[in-house]
Amino acid sequence: MFKNYLKIAFRNLFKRKGHSFLNIGGLSIGMATTILIGMWVYDELSYNKDFENYNEIAQVMQTQTFNGEIKTESNQPMQLAPVLRNDYGDYFKHVVTSTFTFDMLLTAVENKISYSGFFSEPGVTEMLSLKMLQGTRDGLQDPSSILLSKTAALSLFGTVDAVGETIKVGSASNLLVSGVYEDLPENNSFSNLKFIAPWEFLKKNQDYENRVGWGNNWFQTFVQIQDGVNMSVASAAIKNSKLENLDAESGMAKQKPVIQLHPMAKWHLYSRFENGINTGGTIDRVWLLGIIGVIILLLACINFMNLNTAQSVKRAKEVGIRKTIGSVKYQLIFQFMIESFVVVCIAFTVSLVLVILAQSTFNEVTNKSLSIPWSSYNFWIVSVLFIAITSLISGSYPSFYLSSFKPIKVLKGTFNRKEGVVPLRKVLVVFQFAISTTLIIGTITIYRQMNYVQNRPLGYNKEGMLYVPITTKDILERFETVREEILRSQDIANVAASDVLVTGTFTTNSGFDWKGKDPDFAEEFNTLRATHDFGEMINWEIKEGRGFSREYKSDSLAFVLNETAVAYMGLKNPIGEYVQWGDSGKFKVIGVVKDMVTRSPYSAVKPTIFTLHYGRFLNFINIKVKPNRSPKEALSHIEGIFKKYNPERTFSYTFLDEEYQQYFTGEARMGKLISFFAILAILISCLGIFGLSAFIAEQRFKEIGIRKVLGASVYSIWKLLSKDFLLLVMISCIIAIPVGYYYMNEWIQDFNYRATLSWWIFAAAVFGSLLTTFLTISVQSIKAAIAKPVKSLRTE
Amino acid sequence: MLLQLNNIFKWVNSGGQRIFLLKDINLQVEEGEFISIMGPSGSGKSTLLNVIGMLDGFDEGEYNFLDESVHNLKEKLRSNLYKEYIGFVFQSYHLLDELTVQENLEMPLLYKKVKGAERKAMVADMLDRFNIVGKKDLFPAQLSGGQQQLVGVARALIANPKLILADEPTGNLNSQQSEEIMELFKQLNTEGVTIIQVTHSEKNAAYGSRIVNLLDGRMI
Repeated sequence: MFKNYLKIAFRNLFKRKGHSFLNIGGLSIGMATTILIGMWVYDELSYNKDFENYNEIAQVMQTQTFNGEIKTESNQPMQLAPVLRNDYGDYFKHVVTSTFTFDMLLTAVENKISYSGFFSEPGVTEMLSLKMLQGTRDGLQDPSSILLSKTAALSLFGTVDAVGETIKVGSASNLLVSGVYEDLPENNSFSNLKFIAPWEFLKKNQDYENRVGWGNNWFQTFVQIQDGVNMSVASAAIKNSKLENLDAESGMAKQKPVIQLHPMAKWHLYSRFENGINTGGTIDRVWLLGIIGVIILLLACINFMNLNTAQSVKRAKEVGIRKTIGSVKYQLIFQFMIESFVVVCIAFTVSLVLVILAQSTFNEVTNKSLSIPWSSYNFWIVSVLFIAITSLISGSYPSFYLSSFKPIKVLKGTFNRKEGVVPLRKVLVVFQFAISTTLIIGTITIYRQMNYVQNRPLGYNKEGMLYVPITTKDILERFETVREEILRSQDIANVAASDVLVTGTFTTNSGFDWKGKDPDFAEEFNTLRATHDFGEMINWEIKEGRGFSREYKSDSLAFVLNETAVAYMGLKNPIGEYVQWGDSGKFKVIGVVKDMVTRSPYSAVKPTIFTLHYGRFLNFINIKVKPNRSPKEALSHIEGIFKKYNPERTFSYTFLDEEYQQYFTGEARMGKLISFFAILAILISCLGIFGLSAFIAEQRFKEIGIRKVLGASVYSIWKLLSKDFLLLVMISCIIAIPVGYYYMNEWIQDFNYRATLSWWIFAAAVFGSLLTTFLTISVQSIKAAIAKPVKSLRTE
Repeated sequence: MLLQLNNIFKWVNSGGQRIFLLKDINLQVEEGEFISIMGPSGSGKSTLLNVIGMLDGFDEGEYNFLDESVHNLKEKLRSNLYKEYIGFVFQSYHLLDELTVQENLEMPLLYKKVKGAERKAMVADMLDRFNIVGKKDLFPAQLSGGQQQLVGVARALIANPKLILADEPTGNLNSQQSEEIMELFKQLNTEGVTIIQVTHSEKNAAYGSRIVNLLDGRMI
């Protein structure tokens, strides 16, 4: 019996090739999309899970209150880890201070390569369960040692057998390689950790002991909790571990630092904190994509149902015959289920091929490296479930519908085609197009918002600006000479060094005092330290007072504020006011500049202080190439100078424009994904109505013939066949508009600087849907309309 | 006695009016009979046949088939009953287009859950008996109308029914083909199969042992 069903299923597939093609095509596109999204979701959910201590590792977070604004960050002072170790030792197996991960130049005898890594305390190797290829996990105990990843060891020494070799980290003295570890897998927070150097070494080398205190939140702290300790209990216990160590009257204490643990399981998808509480994060995006995946699969299943019930007339006779020769209803249901199962299996195979084809593009868009896990048991189990569920969804309705036919009715030929099923088919079409249109609205809104933010007036000019990172002291010590030599070229307009880039003033500082400041005001400013000429270079607009000038020696203790800072401080006449900055001295406000977008272009401008600086905080040399000059020549000139003063270093530079574009990669990725899915949804829906309109044209073949004989024009027949579909799509647009408005309004609220949701977005989406429907249906209806009537009348 | 219809009424309500399709039908059929139901178009011939074949219900009266009261049976038992004892032959053959001759013949056996080997034997036997062994792998569309009906009759017979119901079995055939089919029916009847056919043709009716005449749903 089963064999018989399979046979019928295959013969039906081959007999109606066009129908099968639409059916399998639509379904496999839907399934491929769902598989891709499924792989993406799985990848997101399994982030960091490779770590043995996944459930015990946590990052220590600090929540501070600045003038009512509550911020939670991972930055910690280096004093925290010893306190946790000594006063709260019962809770933790390991507590380690680490720097943030950054790029360092590693120099072996002959090779030098820049790799990312960090300085950390010895416990980190046990915590991350490093797989040592050479040496042991104790490798960091000696402060003059270093651990390398396999990749780093291979490219520096050509072998993993590197223990005992010495390398230079930055311009610092030689460190002895004490171990080589297997690179960490890609799908985790430490995947780019190519070297681990001892924290003690850095501390001594940078004289941190004497110059950084509880207020310098420059580092990160990781812990691994003790066996049997509850993470949230430990988190609650260390709540005041920083505050207890501060002078109650100090500015830092006023910022009410609260310490808490952020478990590794939540790092990736739950990284957002609101008011000091972990409230979510990119898990929203996982949900969104997951839902889209399910919806697209559903769209494909709906196609399947629609196309199959549309075929009901053709299958009705078969049902009638089978019933008269003894089939019972459940046997017919089973038969049709098997048919849909066969189609789903074929579609699944096709979809795997599609996934392989689309994989590289998808990976590019999502910035992942996903592939089908052929050898994983779970993948096959999930696949079988997936096929079963899809067959069930798509096969259920046609099976129950077809198997319920009354034999004498269908065999007598009095079977009424319009019976029952038409309204449901209409509902399904409306559902499909409502979703497609909503996705179009989403796509347009996301692109418009990105475009809007990208065109935001910045308040400064970054044209022709590039920067060279300062990685050694040599350059800094000879900064004036370097500057003069660079300026010797005709192509260069200006040179200035700064601690942060104007595209990202991420340094914040507090400890300021000024006349009229509320004593309870816990302030936080963005600060930008730079050499002379920086202001002129970025073309800032001075509103009051003046910029820094070499003519005034006193400018070394001067501030230039932005408008937001003036308002934030509540200064009426800012020029000439004095501001005390901790122990650094009393600074005179000499100028006010118009607000500039120096951080994320999505958010509001922060109060910012600009100050002159020629010391060790400087991290970048900014260079402006004259407009209309070739940057290529300018670059070779600059490279020559850097080579001269810093021969050990490979010369690298970045244009500020590129730097700025990085703000858009995340959103651009999201935009690309959503538009990709919108196109798929429309494609699937169009395949569906293409099939349906073909069916309807076929069904009304005779009617069309009669109408034509009676004198109907091609246009009137086209109208006859198209208007029902266009009406359905219009209804779906009416549904899509409020739904799209609701979701996109929610989405756009996340941005401080945002475009409005104007009416034309919706109009364009509706127009797009109607146009595609119109084109799809017209293919069929015009074909039917221009057919010779004699033909259609003769077929009966 | 094979079946008995007592005071069968069947009607539809249309626009406040009750239209009778069958009116007070009383019919007793003995095993081995060959009955022809005749009457003009719309007189209820096919309706009566469908009622007898349990494909259609009725509104009033009693129907006993081999001592089972059909009017009291549940759908599933009724289906079991006709699956077991009744074979249908249609005017337009109603073979399954996607299946070959052999597979069409096999179908009722599959629904009766006959075992594989036995099924093969029965199909081979039937192909042999109807002289269509050479056509067993052809699809219905590749056969002439007469051959298709031959397969239709063979399919009706394969499960060894007691009763064959034929609704104008020769309606789509030419005179020579008709004659062959009727001869076949006659032969089957002599072998003991009860046959009830609906027909317009006096000539075909003459093959039967008894004629039931219908007019406007009544037996006359």
